[in-house]
Amino acid sequence: MPRFMRKGALIRLLAVVLAAVSVSSCAVRTDQVARDPNTVRIAVNGWVGYEASAEVLAYILREEMGYEVQLMRVDEQPAWQALDQGVLDVIVENWGHEDLMELYGPEGKGTVVDGGPTGNEGVIGWYVPAYLVEEYPEIATMEGIKEYSELFRTAQTGDSGEFLAGAPGFVTQDQGMINAFDLDLEIVYAGSEASQITEVRRRYANEEPVLFYFYDPQWLQDELDLVKVEFPPYFEGCDDDLEDVPCDYPVYELNKIFRAGFVETGDPAYQFLDNWRWSNSNQNAVARMIADEGLDPSEAAEIWVEENPDVWRDWIPEGYEGR
Amino acid sequence: MATVTRSDSGQTTGNSADGTPLTWTWVQAVIAIAVLVAGYWVSRALGHPGWSGPFPSATGEWFMARMDDLYLWIVLNRNDSPLFLYGFNYVSVGLGSAVVLINQILDFLTWVGVTVLGVLASWRIAGWRVALLVLVTFAVFALTGLWNESMTTLSLIITSVLAALLVGLPLGVLAGRSERFYRGIRPVLDFMQILPAFAYLLPFVLLFGIGNPAAVVVTAVYAMPPAVRITALAIREVDKGAIEATTSLGSTPWQVLTKVQLPMARRTILLGVNQTIMLAVSMVVIASVIGAGGLGDAIYQALAKVNVGQAFQAGVAIVMLAIAMDRVTGAVGHGARTPQIAPRFRLPVLGAGLAIVIASVGVARFLGVDGWPRDLAVDISDPINAFNEWFEAVAGGFTAALGTVTQSFVINPLTAVLTGSPWWLVVLVAAALGWIFAGVRTAVISGVSFVVVGLLGVWTEAMDTLAQVLVAALVTIALGVVIGVLASRSDVFAAILKPILDAMQTLPPFVYLIPAVAFFGLGPVPALVAAVVFALPPVIRLVNDGIRGVPANTLEAGVSQGSTKWQLLTKVELPMARGSLLLAVNQGIILVLSMVVMGALVGAGALGFGVVFGLAQNQFGLGLASGLAIVCLGLFLDRVTQGRRAPRA
Repeated sequence: MPRFMRKGALIRLLAVVLAAVSVSSCAVRTDQVARDPNTVRIAVNGWVGYEASAEVLAYILREEMGYEVQLMRVDEQPAWQALDQGVLDVIVENWGHEDLMELYGPEGKGTVVDGGPTGNEGVIGWYVPAYLVEEYPEIATMEGIKEYSELFRTAQTGDSGEFLAGAPGFVTQDQGMINAFDLDLEIVYAGSEASQITEVRRRYANEEPVLFYFYDPQWLQDELDLVKVEFPPYFEGCDDDLEDVPCDYPVYELNKIFRAGFVETGDPAYQFLDNWRWSNSNQNAVARMIADEGLDPSEAAEIWVEENPDVWRDWIPEGYEGR
Repeated sequence: MATVTRSDSGQTTGNSADGTPLTWTWVQAVIAIAVLVAGYWVSRALGHPGWSGPFPSATGEWFMARMDDLYLWIVLNRNDSPLFLYGFNYVSVGLGSAVVLINQILDFLTWVGVTVLGVLASWRIAGWRVALLVLVTFAVFALTGLWNESMTTLSLIITSVLAALLVGLPLGVLAGRSERFYRGIRPVLDFMQILPAFAYLLPFVLLFGIGNPAAVVVTAVYAMPPAVRITALAIREVDKGAIEATTSLGSTPWQVLTKVQLPMARRTILLGVNQTIMLAVSMVVIASVIGAGGLGDAIYQALAKVNVGQAFQAGVAIVMLAIAMDRVTGAVGHGARTPQIAPRFRLPVLGAGLAIVIASVGVARFLGVDGWPRDLAVDISDPINAFNEWFEAVAGGFTAALGTVTQSFVINPLTAVLTGSPWWLVVLVAAALGWIFAGVRTAVISGVSFVVVGLLGVWTEAMDTLAQVLVAALVTIALGVVIGVLASRSDVFAAILKPILDAMQTLPPFVYLIPAVAFFGLGPVPALVAAVVFALPPVIRLVNDGIRGVPANTLEAGVSQGSTKWQLLTKVELPMARGSLLLAVNQGIILVLSMVVMGALVGAGALGFGVVFGLAQNQFGLGLASGLAIVCLGLFLDRVTQGRRAPRA
């Protein structure tokens, strides 16, 4: 048989046309949008660690299991909305968002399902460069920040110190911490992670002071020597009032979020994603290749998959023969 | 690009036309501004008492809370309410499916088929030069390793342009045939064109869903006005004699339209289509913020890793795409380079072309060609990154200092005056400026715009944005006039400038927003720099065209009276080019506004941040209020700079 028949491209095209025709009758739900058959649609949030997970999963789904994969880049909250609308199947690294789980989860609309931990742990916090700690050893503590807040003044913030916040989509409690610890700081929103990193890099190169929102696992942690500022540790309920948060960020056990309809299919692709679990060092290995060595994300994923078959073999559902 | 489309609405006459001396206008304007500054100092001296603060925020909070409720209702009822099941979801699912479908077709053709088809079609339409350009464009897609992304972008553009034309052309025909309809629709079109795209991303995401559907709608809305406007214009310009002749022969109105008006207006209408496509190309990149894939997304992803070189690479692909589409559709419009083929050979040529395409697709599929092999991609991002780093090391210190100075001595004081003055004084001054420059109607519009901004509860942010816009607009116009004048002096300089301006206009702003942070430090300054880069090309073009349009005999008269070159410029050329200059100011300010709000992505804060934050955190109320406030500011700036309209002929 000629190759183009075997690949079933014509059939796929036909399926899409049929899908388009079938949706053009009567009531239309948002999840009826035409899609490529056998395609897993994965949300990609804007940080490299997430991309590393998504690309590795996509690579295995494509090359080992014969699926098509569509990666869609969206912010965290819109990604939940997209699951709800049925245009995405899975978020592969979720940080908290209990409020959204209440709205869309089984207690609410019932359109999304908690898929359990990914095995990665996430830390959010306030960071300063190491050279600053060398000069002012106590600056990496809450008291130190209070004492030296004028160090962080900029032309834009005037008489208050600057606290450089990250992308607008990220989880934050910074204003609550500033209020609770009575710090003389003003939040400056970088507007995007890229501009935040660019600014941090610029200050780092000039050894200027900078205090900013950051997290781990994150590839920049390997490039720059950063120190996390110590705050009283998180305890249950201390972040209930976001205007007054007398504690550090919690340690997040990152989890997966599935579209309920995707779980119901019980598809091998779902089972694979459900089985998937890996460590921070696994993720960092891939993220470093992408961000530091400038590899194409799919290349980085390919290298990792080839080098670590013993890690991912178990994720593939038992008895799966390929399609 | 947008300049052409606006020119029919932006015809302005100066105040000198109705007898008021020009200088008096400016004296009045300066007095109005002096009152504002004095008010600021008085209020400051009194320690900012309650009656002199910013606009009270109670109404704004109420509005945002209602909008958040609306948002929640939509989220909960998107797949239950008939409004969505039988309304919005049709549009969203239809358009979303269309994008997927077109992408599938392009995939099915493989890169070989798409290239052969594109090159042959553009040769038939626009001649071999353009065909060569199209070939180069496809080569850039392939060699940058962005073939798939380019095809996604192409599908998005095709879908949104079709959607825009499907709505826009009939509206244009109606407007061309009915004076009343035209008068009704014109303010709507004006309004659509001063709307910065950022302002309406959020509502469309809510109504049509995240990703491709909303992206297509947003792009179509953004790109539609020129299609309507130019179609209406084209239909109106059809020779009255021809219409009367056919009518007297007993043709029905439908026959007049299809047999006379449309064929005769064809070329002009195609120019409108060309404009629509160009606007769609630039919008499709911005739409990556709301989850549209393709080249815009590639830029966005590269920037997430702060990989300027990679982003630039994708930017080049978009510039090439824009230029190629412009040349092909432009050629359809003027038809100059279309190869002459005798009528009897046309069908065989078409057949042969189709046969070649089918054969190449068949061969390619038989050989199992999929996407362009990634191994064959040429990576230019490393040298660009190296160059960027080198340049940063050389100039970074200076630019950073410049950024700090601009922030401390220009932006901060101006923001302080606008945010620290009593709100009612700002409203009054805005109305006064409207009255001084453009008359009573504009005065009312200006005052109302500012009050609405206050009622929306984003007064402080809006004043912040306004300060940024004023600074950037001033720089843009000053630079634009100087460069425009220089370009009008020297043909060589103008020729060198042209491709640079083309690239500046089509290169997506995302590409240079992030590097600007590395040079000028985070905050409003890099956003302002990006805004200047973005808004300069049309200003330069308009100034250049205006001065070159001054009749030669007028110049000679000046020379023969012994004027110096400087006198010639200031007394003859600039006053004669007044219409173009005013249009340049208007265009410059509107473009600056649309870019400054995008500057929120690099820490410019203010209204743009409300939109970005609203999008990212699902804060619909805040996002919508910020978007509407941007619209109000745009309305004010546009009306004031447009001056008094020429009396309708």
